[in-house]
Amino acid sequence: MMMRQSLALALVLFASLLLTDVSHAQTAAPTFDATATAAQALDDIMARQRGEVVLPRGNAPVAPEGGPLFGPQPGPPNSLGPQSQSDYWRGYRGGDPADIVAAVDSGQAMTTTGQQWRLLRENYIRKYAGWFPVGVIAILALFFLLRGRIRIVAGFSGNTIPRFTINQRVAHWFMAAVFSILALSGLIILLGRPVLLPLFGPQANSILTSAALQGHNLFGPIFILALAWLFVKFIRGNFFQIVDLKWILKLGGMLGGHVSSRQFNFGEKAWFWMVILIGILLSVTGVSLEFPWLFGDIRILQASTILHALGAIALISVSLGHIYIGTIGMEGSIDSMLKGEVDENWAKEHHDLWYEEVTGKPASEDAS
Amino acid sequence: MSFVELVEGPLFTLAASIFVLGVLWRLIGIIRIGRTKDISPPKASAALGFFKGNLRHFFPRGIFAKRTALHIIAGYGFHFGLLILVLFAAPHIAFINDRLVSVALPEMPRWGFIVAAEVAFAGLIMLWVRRISDPVMRLISDWDDHIGTWLTFLVMLTGCLALQESHAFLRGFHMLFVDIWLIYFPFSRLMHAFTFFLSRGNTGATYGRKGMNL
Repeated sequence: MMMRQSLALALVLFASLLLTDVSHAQTAAPTFDATATAAQALDDIMARQRGEVVLPRGNAPVAPEGGPLFGPQPGPPNSLGPQSQSDYWRGYRGGDPADIVAAVDSGQAMTTTGQQWRLLRENYIRKYAGWFPVGVIAILALFFLLRGRIRIVAGFSGNTIPRFTINQRVAHWFMAAVFSILALSGLIILLGRPVLLPLFGPQANSILTSAALQGHNLFGPIFILALAWLFVKFIRGNFFQIVDLKWILKLGGMLGGHVSSRQFNFGEKAWFWMVILIGILLSVTGVSLEFPWLFGDIRILQASTILHALGAIALISVSLGHIYIGTIGMEGSIDSMLKGEVDENWAKEHHDLWYEEVTGKPASEDAS
Repeated sequence: MSFVELVEGPLFTLAASIFVLGVLWRLIGIIRIGRTKDISPPKASAALGFFKGNLRHFFPRGIFAKRTALHIIAGYGFHFGLLILVLFAAPHIAFINDRLVSVALPEMPRWGFIVAAEVAFAGLIMLWVRRISDPVMRLISDWDDHIGTWLTFLVMLTGCLALQESHAFLRGFHMLFVDIWLIYFPFSRLMHAFTFFLSRGNTGATYGRKGMNL
């Protein structure tokens, strides 16, 4: 229950970060009442709930006739006294981002979207993100204990058929190497404070974070190159087909029975498109963070950090499943990426339609 | 003596000495072996063949150009990227002037440093993953190839991790790998940085003397 409420609150915060309404404070005519009372405060609350605009009461700053609401205001310093400034700050929150940035640059104001961003990042992403990869590892360990290694039922035939070219393998391992460096350095940047700081102390955490940040920024552009290369080398065969529907209905054979597939099954295709689409998201948000002057709007940078972290955590978590099934999870899989060839029986059992297409022989007659 | 003082002081002096003496010992050893005497009458100049052999090997042969394109691009990217980093990065110029010899090398801007590092990293990673992905390359590679690659990668990586220059420890960590790399260099295939022109030249001289068109 608490978790659900937390997630809901996180979504609301994030949505408000992106969709802050800028129209209110800029367009409506200001109203002002010098004799603020509790009843009036209630009236104000009700008015706001009806969608009307209520400007601050008392001696809070009010936009001069035809003048800007934000920026220097007339009157002596500290003229607000102890009164609530929530409406005043709400005005900032809903203000034009360009005005806010200008105000920050000139030292006149601070953004309140930064507070929303900080709450979301500190209270939700940093707090829970690390648990996703840990959870995936736990699920995979449990699956391995229950299911064991998926063996080639007919055993190794000794005959192999080519599966991936040398350029495909190099593109794959190039991406794997760059992704591993980025994942490790990114996790240190994101989770250094909540995880590493209590374990190793501030000095070690500071050194690790500084190193990770430099490494992450340096390898980021190489990831874009790796992503483009991976896309070009693997796009063929990764479009969804009718046969994938059967794979989905049978949950990839987890419910028992044989599931036919071509060179790539639905799971592999889904993983490919996840890498490409989330990879594009990570690239775009990463570029905006590495070159912040490109976009200029601070809210884009704030949203970028959130999306970058969420996308990265999703990709890291699912990549663990990919690594598992490609190594200890399935017998014979790793050969495809190390040698470029797979055993014929492996091909018959896991990619029968592809086997028939490549060899011209029926898969079912030979398979035991 | 702190960790940084150790790796930048006595350990660096020791490593640099081993590097210089080791490289000289290897080069003199190779030259002293000499060449088997060829008693046939020369049809062309062996010396010209030596230079032509060196130059010709900088470009792939036409029929192999497509097959080896990845290798060529990654190889040149890595080697030129690394050379630029070593010679023209501001921290390296400062170190060379402070500890070795006073030279007026032009300093690269920071963005140039980053681009050169990215090209070098991309090239090195591509070369290594090709080494492990190609069955033939994997077969002819031994521990020396992998250690040499990984040591070079770690020297580059630790250098880039210290880019913020906010912790002396990170610079010391980089220097530790530099010291290890310098000590390992003369006794490994990393020596190809100095011997490649001898082997290419030897092939070129042999064929050049026979009058073959290189």
